[in-house]
Amino acid sequence: MELLRPSSVEEIDGGVFLHGGTEVVPLLRDRLLQAERLVDVRGLVPRGVRDGLVGAGTTLAELEREAAVPAALREACRLAASPQLRNMSSLGGNLLQQTRCWYWRLGYPCNLHGGDRCHAREGEHREHAILANEFCASAHPSDIAAALVALGARLRTSQRELAVEELYRLPDESDRRTTTLEEDELLLEVELPPVEASIYLKAMDRKRWAFPQVGVAAAQLADGSVRIALAGVAPIPWRIESVEALDAATPLPRTAWKLPVARALVRRALVALA
Amino acid sequence: MARLIRTEKEVEGRFEEVWVVVEEDPLEQWPAGPLTVVGRPAPRKDAPERVRGEARFTADIRLPGMLQAAILRSPHAHARVRRIDLAPALALPGVRAALGPGEAHGLVEEAGFAGAPVAAVAAETFGQARAALAAIDVEWEELEVVLDADEAVRRGLLTAGPRRHERGDVERALAEADVVVEATYRTQTVLHNSLETHQAVCEWLGDTLHVYISTQFIWGVRQEIAETLGLPEDKVRVVCEFMGGGFGSKNNPDEYTFVAAELARRTGRPVRCALTRREENTAAGNRNATIQRLRAGARSDGTIVALEGEFTNAVGWSGWNASTEGPMRMLYACDNLRTVTYGARLNTPPMKAFRAPGFVEGTFGLECLVDELAARLDVDPLELRRRNYADSNEGTPFSSKNLAECYRLAERHWERRHEVHARSDAVWKRGVGMASQIWYGGGGPPSYAWVRVGSDGRATVITAMQDIGTGTRTAMAQIAAEELGLPLERVEVVLGDSARGPYASISAGSSTTPSMGPAVRAAAADARQQIDDIAEQRSLPAGTPVEDIVAVLEDGQILGKGARGPNPTGMSVLTFGVHVVEVAVDVETGEVRVERVAAIHDVGRIVNPLGASSQVEGGIIQGIGHTLSEERLLDPATGRILTTSLDAYRMPTIADVPEIVCEFVDVPDEHLTNLGSKGLGEPPIVPVAAAIANAIRDATGAEVRELPISREEMLRALEAARAQERGRRGAPAAV
Repeated sequence: MELLRPSSVEEIDGGVFLHGGTEVVPLLRDRLLQAERLVDVRGLVPRGVRDGLVGAGTTLAELEREAAVPAALREACRLAASPQLRNMSSLGGNLLQQTRCWYWRLGYPCNLHGGDRCHAREGEHREHAILANEFCASAHPSDIAAALVALGARLRTSQRELAVEELYRLPDESDRRTTTLEEDELLLEVELPPVEASIYLKAMDRKRWAFPQVGVAAAQLADGSVRIALAGVAPIPWRIESVEALDAATPLPRTAWKLPVARALVRRALVALA
Repeated sequence: MARLIRTEKEVEGRFEEVWVVVEEDPLEQWPAGPLTVVGRPAPRKDAPERVRGEARFTADIRLPGMLQAAILRSPHAHARVRRIDLAPALALPGVRAALGPGEAHGLVEEAGFAGAPVAAVAAETFGQARAALAAIDVEWEELEVVLDADEAVRRGLLTAGPRRHERGDVERALAEADVVVEATYRTQTVLHNSLETHQAVCEWLGDTLHVYISTQFIWGVRQEIAETLGLPEDKVRVVCEFMGGGFGSKNNPDEYTFVAAELARRTGRPVRCALTRREENTAAGNRNATIQRLRAGARSDGTIVALEGEFTNAVGWSGWNASTEGPMRMLYACDNLRTVTYGARLNTPPMKAFRAPGFVEGTFGLECLVDELAARLDVDPLELRRRNYADSNEGTPFSSKNLAECYRLAERHWERRHEVHARSDAVWKRGVGMASQIWYGGGGPPSYAWVRVGSDGRATVITAMQDIGTGTRTAMAQIAAEELGLPLERVEVVLGDSARGPYASISAGSSTTPSMGPAVRAAAADARQQIDDIAEQRSLPAGTPVEDIVAVLEDGQILGKGARGPNPTGMSVLTFGVHVVEVAVDVETGEVRVERVAAIHDVGRIVNPLGASSQVEGGIIQGIGHTLSEERLLDPATGRILTTSLDAYRMPTIADVPEIVCEFVDVPDEHLTNLGSKGLGEPPIVPVAAAIANAIRDATGAEVRELPISREEMLRALEAARAQERGRRGAPAAV
């Protein structure tokens, strides 16, 4: 395996991007990611916050302390991972992390790995998805992604600009990927439109250092409207218009408990913003 | 004079009759209460080297030329190796040797669980060893898999015959009882997850095998290796200076040690075999799951007249049938009792002892049942426990029992419940619960220690025991310092090496202090007697400092030796305690927060109050994980472990730790040794789950009967309580 340090985005020619390494290194170690070539992108990706623009190389620890960042994003960072991990992991890497579904992490030949079934649906799935879980019941683990979707954030990559929501797609029979990222496409910056207020609430199995069982981000925009997005409930960050949208959930036998939790957290978030 | 006796030896609630030569234990116990050094808080003597990273754990051992081993484990929950080809692995770079089934003790042909060890390789680096595992070609014959404990019991798939206990007439007592409560409790499989994974480094020097191992029992490891390899025991040297936790899972050498020993023999080089964290979560032992079907009958005055329990331990492929029924048999006075305990043999990883095995699980069931009984009788739970106080252990007197004093000390914590209830609001409901604890912890012979005093007035305690992280070095130094009349900083402790000191007890079953402490005191007393003899011959006045007495010796040394005396005959040596827990429950999201734990324990004399409170805190934190967040999960289709990493297997973090108030009934057991101390390793975890569940019931009215009390379980119990409430009011059940 070789490690490359290109001096410009144009020089990138294949390989696996490496920033903080908190996701890529464990995946390599567990052979879930194969790479002949690792591309250290720390020199290419902007880092820091200025004028509503957040470099994708900014660490979660930096974001959590940045007063200019909306509360939902700061709180999502503060409640993510551990201080050690937050010191290393980048915003861009966090958005691209893979599910914590144990079947996927243990390399079961599941739908998401290109296999022919979802092992979690029939198996042990108490932390899995309650929405859009027909093909793959994995739950998206990023607190930060849910916060950015609720905040209406936009992404600038090495190839295009898009809404954060558009970064994600549900996996299906023909395409098992959960993002719309193209080959060699690198996340560079996040643009945060101004919001009136925002909040992130998170249900975990313990008080700290746990992925969201349910995460709820909500933001109130200047026109008074509210955007809501959830983590941990669908294979990708999941936006809903109102708490009633959760009535359409399709929980599995042992994920039904997530529904009342999600409803309670959405209501609390809306009350807090009102 | 040496005295040969036949005595009952107890470890982790398992008894056996053994012959031991015991020396008389003529020392009078010290008076109760804090002394000059003993009974006073002492920071750990080894804290600086631990904090600076200088303490050498097995994981730090790097010998010249050392190879790294890796173990191939069965991917199937039950399968036989039909054919195995190690040659492709041996052909890979760096690989020096490979072993197949039967070539080292523990490598098996029939894998009874996913994770069972079948083959191993040694290579120059761990990466090479791991890569070589993937090249081993195995043809498997898959066999029938049984994962359900009830099914195993139905089919008679047991690790041993069912164990039964009976006294009185349970049927009649239940028929005549004013109130009968009945419930089924379930506890989950949890993992020890010691910070240091199971590991050993083996090296042959001449015909002697040197074993560096993370272990709770240096001498047990020496004996088992010698017996398995056909060596004289003195040809095996076992070293464990510092270890990163065991909790019952490191009492034996296990496959990784035998793999390292055999690979070292074949290659002529030292070999390290260390489990990865994923292996640690798969095949390093566990606290087995249980199913407990319980009944209790009582008279309306609160007298418990009948207790009945059917216990199933989901033992796994091998292991023993822990005393899940123990608390039901021993905690309360009850004339009529019947228990049966099944050990279900399953295609799951074997259980190992885990901090009060059986009693943690059994106390959850029993102490929840007692609270359910209290609610039915409308009797205060503390009062109900007092009314059924046991004055003997099925007729055998206790060597000491101060549980009544624990209850008295618990009163002020229990009284807080009115104020705690008042802090409830629409979302967060608050409540208080309690549970008692009973466990062993008496230790026993044989155990020996030497004490060496130099002419500079400094002393060294020498014994080949292990400090499993509990602060043993400090406690032993305190005991020797007290007896010698030296300040603590002038006493060192040398331990952790079978070649450097006499036989010492296992550090399991809360036995280290009660087994080793009296031996150390006896050795120190022997040395002190010699020092006093010298003082007398030098006509020195009483109270002359030790260094002034022995200064004339120059290179001479005073050598004292001591042995652990016998346990009192015809008595039950047990530990007791009670916890009072305050919780808050978010009734909308099912979040449970433990806010305060008051722990009151009766374990005889407390040697180091600081170390003792650390033990209590650790036990409570581990208990909170057991109660709320930890669970090893299996894929129901294949029996493979799903929770193999620390993000999937959720132990509590420091943020989950509540306020902990720790109190002791610091009264020596007058019948137990020259020290009067019992062990404290296990007692503090025993009542945690029941006390939390009882606090949850107090807060919400919800009956939680299954561990862990995850949000899922909490919300289920809350919904069931609401449905019951609606039924009681006659309102329609649907909303």
